[in-house]
Amino acid sequence: MRFSTEQKDSYTEVSGTGRLNMVAAPKLREVVGEVVSAGNKRIVLNMLATDFIDSSGLGALIGCLKMARQAGGDLRIACVQPQVKMVLELTSMNRVLTPHATAEGAFSND
Amino acid sequence: MTEVLAQRAYQAPATPEAIDELHTELDRIWEVASFIPELDQMAFTTAVIESASNVVQHGVAVPGGELRLGVTLTVMASVLQARISEIGAVPSPEMPSASLPDDDEESGRGLALIEALMTTITVELRGETKTWVLSREIETPA
Repeated sequence: MRFSTEQKDSYTEVSGTGRLNMVAAPKLREVVGEVVSAGNKRIVLNMLATDFIDSSGLGALIGCLKMARQAGGDLRIACVQPQVKMVLELTSMNRVLTPHATAEGAFSND
Repeated sequence: MTEVLAQRAYQAPATPEAIDELHTELDRIWEVASFIPELDQMAFTTAVIESASNVVQHGVAVPGGELRLGVTLTVMASVLQARISEIGAVPSPEMPSASLPDDDEESGRGLALIEALMTTITVELRGETKTWVLSREIETPA
């Protein structure tokens, strides 16, 4: 899986391309950890090109959410694909990580 | 309805890299079995990867041996079946918890997810091989 980060006006966008499985999960934690360490607390994970997630990936998302919140910020997810949506719903994690339709809209109501 | 329409087998050392390779095998079987509804493909792929990841993460090789992951994927008209084997493992009849953990827990959702996606799950223990047999019935058979 490949990750890229982009600084936007009011948040940092992290995009992941590929499968968020046990191989990619530690990489996501590392990427988001670096973003938070650099002082960026509002993070949007753009999942437009993330076509798969499993419970390891879900664990990494929760870990990243905790990192952002412990720093006084938040992590939100956007553009989730059908398989990711299915896994979030079956594990009830959509209550904690509510998918947003667009990355731009993830923090727009704050 | 039990005629095998597509089948693939995979075996490799139980390493994280094997999970990516197995995912490619799943993609290949759907190229052949594209008549299977997308929801069923997605559910089956998720459960198989989840179960194989469990072997890689929690399987313990017998002393001096190598832990291997063996997977057979079978597509029938009304059923998708996977046999996921932990080969060369210290026998462990224990089953992980199938209930969902607290929202802030970072692990422990794997079996609950497999249970939600599969129609039946059975576990066979034979010496140093533990095999998970996962089946999903297809609601609208091809």
